[in-house]
Amino acid sequence: MADETGTQVNPALAGLPKHALERLQGLREAGQSGGIFTSDLSVNEFLMVREAGFEPLGLVVGSCIYHVGIQYGSWGQNQELNVISQAMYQARELAMTRMEQEALTLMADGVVGVRLEVKRLGWDSDILEFMAIGTAISHSAGHPGFKGPKGMPFTSDLSGQDFWMLLRAGHRPLAMVMGSCVYHVAHQGVFKAMGNVGRNVEITQFTQAMYDARELAMERMQNEAKEAGADGVVGVQLHEGSHNWQPHVIEFFAVGTAVKPIEDKALIPEPASPQIVIPVND
Amino acid sequence: MSLFGRILGQNSDPDRQQHQAQQLARNQAWDTALTNQTLPDFVKQRLADTKSGKLPWISTGSVGALLAQRSHGIHPLGMVSGNCWYHYGYSWTRGHYDGWHTAIDRMRQEATLMGANAVVDVKLSATRMEGTGDDQMDYAVLGTAVRIAGLATPRTPVIATVSALEFARLMESGILPTGLAIGAHYNWHYSSRNASGQGTWWNQELRELSDFMTDIRRAAIGQLASDAARIGTGVLARVQFSELLRGEPAENDPRQRFLGRHIAFGTAVLHEPGRHISLKLKPVFSVSDGKMTPVMPREKEII
Repeated sequence: MADETGTQVNPALAGLPKHALERLQGLREAGQSGGIFTSDLSVNEFLMVREAGFEPLGLVVGSCIYHVGIQYGSWGQNQELNVISQAMYQARELAMTRMEQEALTLMADGVVGVRLEVKRLGWDSDILEFMAIGTAISHSAGHPGFKGPKGMPFTSDLSGQDFWMLLRAGHRPLAMVMGSCVYHVAHQGVFKAMGNVGRNVEITQFTQAMYDARELAMERMQNEAKEAGADGVVGVQLHEGSHNWQPHVIEFFAVGTAVKPIEDKALIPEPASPQIVIPVND
Repeated sequence: MSLFGRILGQNSDPDRQQHQAQQLARNQAWDTALTNQTLPDFVKQRLADTKSGKLPWISTGSVGALLAQRSHGIHPLGMVSGNCWYHYGYSWTRGHYDGWHTAIDRMRQEATLMGANAVVDVKLSATRMEGTGDDQMDYAVLGTAVRIAGLATPRTPVIATVSALEFARLMESGILPTGLAIGAHYNWHYSSRNASGQGTWWNQELRELSDFMTDIRRAAIGQLASDAARIGTGVLARVQFSELLRGEPAENDPRQRFLGRHIAFGTAVLHEPGRHISLKLKPVFSVSDGKMTPVMPREKEII
């Protein structure tokens, strides 16, 4: 028997399940009958998600194509363009919610590796396409302790590797949280600008605008995390961008994964204290 | 005749005729082979000679991949390839599906002839050539056929986009990459209403278009799943491409036209859900720093 499967001859094959060994030797052509999962995980992420004790269920996607309303800032005033802020937030929220709904129909515990992309459509600068895409996963032993807020699947932009590490750190993801602020940075008056010629001076008006916009975006994200019942938010990224808007208009977008400590002590894996290494080849 | 003489000699008539005849014979052999879905004799010969060791093996793998030879019994046999220049006309997504699958079938045929258990490190490349139309391109795949010690020779080898080292790691955790799965879908949407909200100034979702794109992505992912189900229990689709375009209205149809398409490529895997062999991971923290970047990235004139 051992010779037939080759496991004794080659110990590296010992881990392969029977149907995989048979396939390698051409004894079977087809896949397994029954369910199949789809995902956008890399090979390493797939390994790590399984190492964390989860199985991928399916690729989940949410789309939202949105016509952003028109709003102009007054020339000389620092102000949030709340119409555009709301558009950017609502459209992302819609894409995320639709993705979550897909995960719910798969009876997933959560979604990892969520990518939230915004694209301007070539034929109309007012139309933006938002897409949320990620891989729905579920706990292999079916433990209910990993669900997100209100029993919905959790969402997270963490990779499979980060997900494993987060659990090792004794935390679990709750929700991908975000805050957006589109801001009009005031133009300087001509006299003011002239007055600055040749002088070293901070342009406090601009400083304030950037500060205020960033603050608003972070504040909103933080509130969302509080709403989700989180202890903290990891991997926060702060994007500054302009989606082909008029000059002096920028968006601050804060996004991260809201987390909280794992409640069920039995589910907390061994702590991982990393070995410190120094590579000698670069 | 010296080498130099031989090169010069090519210009003489009999040699040129001979060269011409050889090329014609080669073209003829490719023609017959592609029609009959087989390989020309000279390719078969080279593969056979590589397999028997008359010719040295060639591999796309790194030196690191060679480590898997002793640790996991994964021996390189030789590089295998296939391609398909495909004119897809109106259906770009269908073109991708057919083009890649044909190219892979050809590569698999080469690997089968070498008695491989698997082809690893498979890379895909698409080539367009100037002077040919926008509606065609070459789909090519290249990989390294390997034998795995202790296994029987299969009728058809598995196709893996991962390197030999990754292949070995997957095997250890009870996962076998089996092939490439593709899901591609496109559709047209006609709208008599103002689907793109032109001329409006308020915030609004373009629900009609959102739903249209949702359907397209679902269809593409559904196709990916059924394509993968032929050969595996799951699919890892890292590469996704999605697009929504607005077309000019058709001649006798004033409605707005939209073209949506989505394509997903993935590695199909065979595994047993719920059964996982632990990797016994050891976390490490590297104290190496990246290259220092200049504080002032560009030189600027100071006025």
